Amino acid sequence: MDLLLSDEQQEIASTVASLLTDDLGNDTIDVRRTPTPINRETWARYGELGWFSLGLDEGLGGVGYGLAEEAILFREIGRQIPPGPFLASTLSARLAALGGQSQLAGSIAAGRTLVALAEPRNPDSAAGASISGSFDLFDGQDAEYVLIVTPRGAALVAAEDLGSLQPTACIDPSVHLATVDLSGAGAALYRPAGDDLLFERGTILIAATLAGVAEAVRDMATEYAKVREQFGRPIGVNQAVKHRCADMAILAEAAAAQVFFAAVSVDEGRGDAAFQASAARIVATDAALEGARANIQIHGGMGYTFECDANLFLKRSHVLDRQLGDKYAELDRLIDLPQAI
Amino acid sequence: MDLQFSVADLSFREEVRTWLEENAPKDRPQNDRKALTEYDINWQKIQWAGGYAGISWPAEYGGRGASLTQQLVWFEECGRAGIPGIDTCFVGINHAGPTLIASGTDEQKSFHLPKILRGDVIWCQGFSEPGSGSDLASLSTRGIIDGDELAVTGQKIWTSFGDKAQYQELLVRTDASGSKHKGITWIIGDMSAPGIEVRPIETMAGDADFCEVFYDEARFPLTSVVGRLNDGWNVAMSTLSFERGTAFMLSQVALAQVVEELIDVARTHTGPDGRRPAIADDEISRHLAQTRADVAALRAMTYLSISRGAKYGTPGPEGSISKLRYSDLSQRVGRLAIDVLGHDALNFRSRSQLHSWVQEYLRSYAASIGGGTSEIQRNIIGDRVLGLPR
Repeated sequence: MDLLLSDEQQEIASTVASLLTDDLGNDTIDVRRTPTPINRETWARYGELGWFSLGLDEGLGGVGYGLAEEAILFREIGRQIPPGPFLASTLSARLAALGGQSQLAGSIAAGRTLVALAEPRNPDSAAGASISGSFDLFDGQDAEYVLIVTPRGAALVAAEDLGSLQPTACIDPSVHLATVDLSGAGAALYRPAGDDLLFERGTILIAATLAGVAEAVRDMATEYAKVREQFGRPIGVNQAVKHRCADMAILAEAAAAQVFFAAVSVDEGRGDAAFQASAARIVATDAALEGARANIQIHGGMGYTFECDANLFLKRSHVLDRQLGDKYAELDRLIDLPQAI
Repeated sequence: MDLQFSVADLSFREEVRTWLEENAPKDRPQNDRKALTEYDINWQKIQWAGGYAGISWPAEYGGRGASLTQQLVWFEECGRAGIPGIDTCFVGINHAGPTLIASGTDEQKSFHLPKILRGDVIWCQGFSEPGSGSDLASLSTRGIIDGDELAVTGQKIWTSFGDKAQYQELLVRTDASGSKHKGITWIIGDMSAPGIEVRPIETMAGDADFCEVFYDEARFPLTSVVGRLNDGWNVAMSTLSFERGTAFMLSQVALAQVVEELIDVARTHTGPDGRRPAIADDEISRHLAQTRADVAALRAMTYLSISRGAKYGTPGPEGSISKLRYSDLSQRVGRLAIDVLGHDALNFRSRSQLHSWVQEYLRSYAASIGGGTSEIQRNIIGDRVLGLPR
């Protein structure tokens, strides 16, 4: 039993972190504050590095690591919140590979084919062989497919079968948001929920991203509390500030611990993997949203500006909370699951 | 990263589970503190007979010498067997014993350690004073050297089981001339010494095993000093970090079981609306789900800190994170139980299993005060984990 990152996993984390830092720094436009088309070159490079197929078996064209390594990658995404359909790409590459569409899987994994996430706006709109209902579409620009993942099953729909999109500005300025109504659109691929655990995997990756957000805002707030001086002393000496930072640290630690516990539960085929995934999402959502709120507060007037990153972490957390269900749906699911092993 | 236990740990789990099924005492008394003390001591004796006493103590001192992972296995299985804590024996097993092992003389060890392990004695803690709570180092109970004895005068407070204990880990001021952290001495206090008076204090939960202790020139031999004279602060601190490391593991692990029991109660017990089971109320149901998630994370945090302990050795200040999270969560669980009980929540001191939730709710208020308040834990996290300026 070991919940610490191995040296190899640590290496994955630092490689991802430094590449994201470079890419976000090198862009001539501030991609986290401006809706921008996906940089296809960057996206293909991530694909080449195996970022979208990290946990997919080598036999299915993946890198052959587990969900734990994917969670490590998504935690880094949460720490830096780059734009792009990371979740949809990772889940759809797996869905296509498991569904026997290896060519499509390869193209998504390589970062050549873009996939957007479509989230049902109500429980009646759901995935199936034929899809109807109203959906929120995340990062639909240039997407060739959209992915729908629900607890009942997952589907890929070709973008040309979608009909008209109604784009709308997103609370998170880096996210392309649109709504779309489908009536009987045929799925290019549909798999009912089962051993794939696609919904649970997605839930854990969302939780991992939120855990990364919680760690980023904890660090941002703590660093600021060390250097910002008022009344002649750093504000971090005050317990009102210090204890808030401590609470952020507690939330972040709980989120990361539970995310990795859940990811390993899936990798090891534990019977309570769904329980652990659900718990991870709930705990990580709290950690990110409460941490993001505290971070804005600790930054004072600066925290309220668009220029300060604090608002971006809050907004991304809200976007993540609306993908693959939400916290309320997760609470209602968790109470009905058998207890943890 | 893995959740696999080694073959040795798995067979240890099997062994422990079977042994607990056959030997763990059943029906822990809920509201009768005298019976609870007898239960705890009896359980300690059973552990000794079975070779599990002092699970974390080194084998050379009669303990089990279990690895961190095996300690976890032990506590998980105890939780599963319905043994939520070791209240009466806590100080002896988790505090006094480890302190003697770390800093005691051979005579002190050979005299006291077997007694603690066998459940022959109860220890209590004489740290806090009316004027020295969170600021423990300001303590002023005086110890004056007189020949080969220390004469102690002053007062201690919040001494759990002070009325039942034979021994006390007693911090006294033996030198008031220097800084407050220096000049403190850690002594083994024999509670039967003349000049000691113990007065129970009734708690908000209606218990009275919480005491204040008065010393009027109570005399203790100098051979009862643990560690060096005037070095008691360091002696005490070395085991406080131990306490924050693994000593709370059992209650943390057991809390998961408590939450599951509460969910079971909510499924059958009529809730606040007087008509439906409590769980039919969306707000109660979601709060129950939330505690389920939080208690899962608490367990993951325990696993994480064991992983850290196994890799880096001594438990770090991160222990404060789990402790805080546990105290907060146990209070929320207690509060939630009150909502689940609905109209039955006001019934106090009944012997029924259901009403023990009320008692536990009231007791949960101690969790964020004892063993270092939550505010002090937040200071520790801020200062030592996050490196914030003091």
